[in-house]
Amino acid sequence: MFLPILMHTFVWESMDMLKELEQLKSDFKTSLSKAATKTHLLELKSVYLGKKGKLSSILKGLKEMGPKERKTLGQKSNEYKREIETALSKKMEALEVFEIDEKLKKTGVDPTYRESLFDLGLMEAGLHPVTLVQREVEDIFLSMGLDILDGPHIEDDYHNFEALNIPADHPARDMQDTFWFKDLKHLLRTHTSTIQIRGMKMQRPPFKFVGPGKVFRSERTDASHEMVFHQLEGMMVDKDLSVANLIYFMKTLLTEVFGKETEVRLRPGFFPFVEPGFELDIRCQVCHGKGCRVCKQSGWVELLPCGMVHPNVLRFGRIDPSVYNGFAFGLGLDRLVMMKYGIDDIRHIHGGDLRFISQFRMY
Amino acid sequence: MLISTRWVKDFVDIPEVEAESMAERVTLATAEVENVIRPGAHLKDILIVVIEGVRKHPSSDRLHLASFDLEGQGTLEVVCGAPNVRVGLKVPYAPVGTTFPNGLTLTPKKIRGVVSRGMLCSEAELGLGEESSGLMELADHAPLGQCLLDFLSLEEDVVLDIDNKSLTHRPDLWGHFGFAREFSAIWEVPLKDPFDEKWKGPLEKHFTSSPSPLRLNVDSQGACLSYWALAVDGVEVTESPAWMQTRLLACGMRPINSIVDISNYVMLELGMPNHIFDRDKIAGDSLTIAPLGKKENFTTLDEVERPLVETDTVICDEKNPLVIGGIMGGLGSSVEEKTKNLLIEAANWKPSLIRQTCTRLGLRTESSQRYEKSLDGNLCYRTLLRILELVLRFNPKAKVLGAPVYDGVDLNASEKVTISTCVERINAQLGLALSTSFLTTLLESLGFVVNVKGSGALSIEVPSFRANKDVECEADIVEEVGRIVGYGRIDPAAPRADMRPHALRPEKAMHRRIQDYLFLKGRCLEVMTYPLVGKTLLEKCRWPDLGEKLTLLNPLSKDHDRMRPSLVPSLLSVSSLNQKSYHRFQFFEIGRVYLPGREEFAVEHTQAALAFFDQKGGRFQEMLGEVENLLRYLNIPAVLGGEEKGRNPVIPKEWPGCHPYEYQPIKVMGQKAGAVFSIHPLMQREFKIKGHLCVAVIDLQGVEGRRWPAKINYRPLPKYPSSVFDCTVVCEPQTPVGDVIGPLQKLKLKELVQVKIVDVFVPKGQMKCVTLRATFFDPKGTLDSATVKGCERSVVAALEKGGFPLKPSG
Repeated sequence: MFLPILMHTFVWESMDMLKELEQLKSDFKTSLSKAATKTHLLELKSVYLGKKGKLSSILKGLKEMGPKERKTLGQKSNEYKREIETALSKKMEALEVFEIDEKLKKTGVDPTYRESLFDLGLMEAGLHPVTLVQREVEDIFLSMGLDILDGPHIEDDYHNFEALNIPADHPARDMQDTFWFKDLKHLLRTHTSTIQIRGMKMQRPPFKFVGPGKVFRSERTDASHEMVFHQLEGMMVDKDLSVANLIYFMKTLLTEVFGKETEVRLRPGFFPFVEPGFELDIRCQVCHGKGCRVCKQSGWVELLPCGMVHPNVLRFGRIDPSVYNGFAFGLGLDRLVMMKYGIDDIRHIHGGDLRFISQFRMY
Repeated sequence: MLISTRWVKDFVDIPEVEAESMAERVTLATAEVENVIRPGAHLKDILIVVIEGVRKHPSSDRLHLASFDLEGQGTLEVVCGAPNVRVGLKVPYAPVGTTFPNGLTLTPKKIRGVVSRGMLCSEAELGLGEESSGLMELADHAPLGQCLLDFLSLEEDVVLDIDNKSLTHRPDLWGHFGFAREFSAIWEVPLKDPFDEKWKGPLEKHFTSSPSPLRLNVDSQGACLSYWALAVDGVEVTESPAWMQTRLLACGMRPINSIVDISNYVMLELGMPNHIFDRDKIAGDSLTIAPLGKKENFTTLDEVERPLVETDTVICDEKNPLVIGGIMGGLGSSVEEKTKNLLIEAANWKPSLIRQTCTRLGLRTESSQRYEKSLDGNLCYRTLLRILELVLRFNPKAKVLGAPVYDGVDLNASEKVTISTCVERINAQLGLALSTSFLTTLLESLGFVVNVKGSGALSIEVPSFRANKDVECEADIVEEVGRIVGYGRIDPAAPRADMRPHALRPEKAMHRRIQDYLFLKGRCLEVMTYPLVGKTLLEKCRWPDLGEKLTLLNPLSKDHDRMRPSLVPSLLSVSSLNQKSYHRFQFFEIGRVYLPGREEFAVEHTQAALAFFDQKGGRFQEMLGEVENLLRYLNIPAVLGGEEKGRNPVIPKEWPGCHPYEYQPIKVMGQKAGAVFSIHPLMQREFKIKGHLCVAVIDLQGVEGRRWPAKINYRPLPKYPSSVFDCTVVCEPQTPVGDVIGPLQKLKLKELVQVKIVDVFVPKGQMKCVTLRATFFDPKGTLDSATVKGCERSVVAALEKGGFPLKPSG
């Protein structure tokens, strides 16, 4: 009978201890919910889990227990210890986040405080519209395997006229209003065609290149006429080139420039350095050929002069016209720029007014 | 140039085509048609009515309301302001919807509250007269309801307005007969040549064996090439017939009198200008055609006095000059109503000399613009005969005196131009496959004589009217074929490709790098300024080089009369302009400057220039930083700063525009090539720039022509730690930090791998403190403390030696 009594005592004691543990747990929950600072939490930690803490004092009675109860209670108490620890560190973390957040709240920046809202003067930046269009066109030519050349602005009669098959008394000289220097031998190039001569002399055929640059005309200026403007000359020299090749080349190029299939037509045009010479028209981009004010009801817009290089010009370029031939063209860049952006006055191009330039800002 | 298709039809049967498509064919094959004009087209709509009632306009004293009957429409009433409006008058009536020659279309309109159903017209309104004072009064027999076109027996015409520029190289197209040849080739219809040998015979029968009343004397040094003259007596100057007047009007010429009209008519028909003198006004019995040899004023037909010079060629009688050869006749010898006896001239002139005189006189006439283009001298005789034909037709009783006289170049001496080519080459150059017979027919229709030799070889004889600077070589023949066939018939074909890669040339690549850096990093806008500047600007900014050597002969204005020697003056004026709109900005330009060369006439350098402006504070330091980074980005061997000895070719020493203390030179490849500087306050004041402007200029000559690839020396990451040593030294407050760090940059110590400034601090009223950080490193191992201490001592010693002692501690 001894054993059962003993058992009974044990059972009672273990039940008691379990209650104490439960109590501890609920007490902890209550105090945890009240804890609002890290110090509180650290205090709680030592009160409950410290060496002299509540859990330790409860567990002191564990030695008295039999192995079975010890095991059960031990497991239970470990479980509760972990729970308390986890709860504490969670709360600790939450408090830390809260505290940092409180700090950040005070130091945080105003996200609407943007440079763009402030009057910092002119902060727009970007390239000149002529540069934009010129680069675009240059890159197309480069991708088509053409070299990009330039030459001097101050030229002599030879490069600007004579070598381009425009001898002294040629009526074509009337078409060009030339700025002459006082020595009457030098002038400002009236077209980028001068680059043809320089391009031919610096290499052997076959070759193909373009020459973009400034040109000068002594013309009265107004909204559509300038004394300084930009052209782009193109030249391809090889054996057995034909008008059919020229048409193909121009069509491919213009389709790329305008970003859509572009219909072209050639009609006779007179330029002493090409023979045959053409005016190249494109289908009017405004009315698509139906006829409008822009194309003067014709459905076509005159875009650029071109032609097969005159044999005399090849000879001036030290190329034998019985072996090689070529084609050449000239593109008015300012006109392209004005068409693209709808610019009303060509004089803005060299005007230096940042109210104009800043409209082409890139950021 | 106005071409009447009605007139062209005298020489060729044009197929019936819409005027617009005819114009398009001509544009594609020959010359640009700018406009299609239908003179008289509106006259089809104008009807003849008789005024039956006139009453006063209810709310106007001047205006009337005229009423008349019109078949099918009953009685109509229109508002009329003409003074000659009266009952019983036959007048032209324009119904609503009529489009007048001035482009206006008549719409129903209220005039002072009364709706006018069309209008009654004057001759001027109908384009039938120059001016008129009232309604056109029609004859009593005019049939009511008939259209005016039929009543006046006018021809309906389509006139092509040809762009003169596209005829620059085609002297043969300055007359209707020449154009008819083009029509004949384009539409493949035969050309009727009424001026052939058979035509000449009957006209030449009028010549007599008596001597000509005038002798000719052509000086070959002058502008005259050929001169034909023929005397005709007993003419009566009247009005020319309506058909001739209509044609002249259609071509934009005012009818004057029968003789002057013949002269103009034949010019428009055959393309050869000519002149008809009143022979009774010629003094003596000879004409001399020679340079004037002296300065003299001469009054031309248009009653303007023109200053002639020695080299101008004139036609003189035995007393005075009568005509400026090839350009315009004088007032003194012109044909008038009382003229009885004529001298008909048909001549040819040297284009270049005609051009010279015209340009100098600022006088361009119908005649001179034709002669400037090298006319065919062979056409003179035909012109002479054609004038004679018309003079005799209008004056059957007139008598020819003697035969035509001639002086000038030997007309038989001109050599024929013959071009050898072959069918295959023509086809290859166009990208077509035309047959020999097709080619031959085409060329023959344009007046060429084609000899086909074996296997497609062609020998092509150029007609004289195309042989003057027009058709000279094979390429010209290719053009003739291409344009008549139509370039639209050529299928585009890809050229054979050559496979060479192309990169941007170094200059262009560098310009792009500068542009990219300055707009992306420098927040700049790119501008372009005129390469031409004026003395005023250069003087205003006191630039030492006024660019006198590169001054233009014919500038458009004083503000753009010379090449800019620097970008700086333009930069100043652009800044001055923009500071009105913005309190802060930054911009750049990459452009050329032009300087007189030593051996060559001029040299051109490309320069990059940038300007930073702020109303409030200077941005010199910011600009130094940007320029330093830019130079680094370009990888070019450039140094910003340091002492500058001698002349900086980009910013001359004597230029007073630089700030005396905010100036740092730029050296590129060891050469002075620019500077970064603030603009002197006095210069800013000169340009009314209120604020602070600083500028950088870099000359790219020499450096831009090469590629400067980035030099990257990769080293494996260090295996051993480096050691850092900070120390603070003191110096005078105005000592530049660059001087303070200098001794360490020069210090030769193999462990010292980097020196930087950490802090600069000037306690109030004390010396400046500069904290420097030296990094020691040995790639072979960790530095031991003894070595580090040694390095530190060397650093401190170097600083002290340079005059920068350590800051006393505490």
